[in-house]
Amino acid sequence: MYNVAEVNAEACVAQKGCRLCIMYCPEANCIQLDTQKMKAVIVESRCKGCELCVVVCDAAKHNAITMVAR
Amino acid sequence: MANRIQINKEFVDIMPQDYLDLVETGTFESPNRGWKDFGTATELIAEHSLCAGCPESIAFRHIMASIPNPEDTVMVGSTGCTSLVFPMIAVHNIHSLFGNQNAIATGLKRALAVRFPDRVKDVIVLAGDGATVDIGLDMTLQSWFRKERFTTICFDNELYANTGGQESGLMQKGFLAKMAPVGKRFDKVRLPEIARESGCDYVAIMTASKPSLVEKVIKQAVLIAREVGPTYIQIYTPCILEIGKQSMEGLQEMRTSEAPGERFKFREFISPEAQSFLDGLAEKKKAEKIAATT
Ligand SMILES: Cc1ncc(C[n+]2csc(CCOP(=O)(O)OP(=O)(O)O)c2C)c(N)n1
Ligand code: SF4
Ligand code: SF4
Ligand code: SF4
Ligand SMILES: [Mg+2]
Repeated sequence: MYNVAEVNAEACVAQKGCRLCIMYCPEANCIQLDTQKMKAVIVESRCKGCELCVVVCDAAKHNAITMVAR
Repeated sequence: MANRIQINKEFVDIMPQDYLDLVETGTFESPNRGWKDFGTATELIAEHSLCAGCPESIAFRHIMASIPNPEDTVMVGSTGCTSLVFPMIAVHNIHSLFGNQNAIATGLKRALAVRFPDRVKDVIVLAGDGATVDIGLDMTLQSWFRKERFTTICFDNELYANTGGQESGLMQKGFLAKMAPVGKRFDKVRLPEIARESGCDYVAIMTASKPSLVEKVIKQAVLIAREVGPTYIQIYTPCILEIGKQSMEGLQEMRTSEAPGERFKFREFISPEAQSFLDGLAEKKKAEKIAATT
């Protein structure tokens, strides 16, 4: 089993300019901005499951990311 | 699409998608590249094997997004955790024998000036604290004494991470590590001050907690190294594995260590020559802005 991050598009406020998870994810090209929907999306194959994105998203009270088992 | 970075048409159909992405949506030759490209442009780092949550990965991302001319930059690495990332970056780079990085960079910078007299080529060293301050200290200092025009970046995680946690010159006094069980008896080497006294025209000590600050410092350091003299940046990239932190705790560790009075509080030294160069740049930018609006 392996934990990866998942964005709840309804809770994500990337359309208002939030880029916190995209800024701080340690992995390159791992969290992308869907420029049509204006939401953050995780590239699962690059996610190492560190949970830092959860920490920064929760700290800003958006609570849009959860870890899911794969 | 970038002009100088292209794929030979004969090879397009057999190149991996990651490679095509780099050419099509990479940020080569983009004058305003920076961390704001994250999420929409292809970054110049592919998957590597650093630990989940390692702050070295965060710092590496911010640096690769910020270097002003990646297409005309050669980086020099050394042994340590960073050497696990170097094979995965989309910038020319040399892996040097542990500690030799500033000597290699010296020869490289001079050779590039001979080989490409009409083109600006930046050289950037990026190595761990063990490579910069212990085993490579001779090479580090000598390059500064000689005023070699390249940037030295030290990923300071205050120990030898890659070999399991031995004491380093940049370790804090009294710190215990797995392979240094007695506790360090000496003070953390004051390399930023030594850098200033040894001829560096720009010195910064910081953490990787603020992408915009990393971007500003990297750009300044590379441009000053190009035009004025040697530059040195020391970035705290804590080894979460060796200091017993969880994978998501690296950012908080950096923030705690840069609070007022803490050892990684942001400090900058700019020589008068470097300052007047920066002032000139700022004025040029201002003039361009005015010209664009009128
Ligand atoms: C000439 C030489 N001496 C010793 C080593 C063993 N060695 C490999 S990595 C390392 C420590 C690296 O520490 P640092 O530069 O702080 O980088 P970090 O792994 O902490 O990022 C050492 C001593 C080596 N590879 N080559
Ligand atoms: S930090 Fe949260 S709210 Fe902000 S872009 Fe990422 S997922 Fe969306
Ligand atoms: S869990 Fe870590 S690696 Fe995965 S998306 Fe979040 S920050 Fe990135
Ligand atoms: S050992 Fe430490 S410095 Fe090396 S990748 Fe892991 S967390 Fe990062
Ligand atoms: Mg180290």
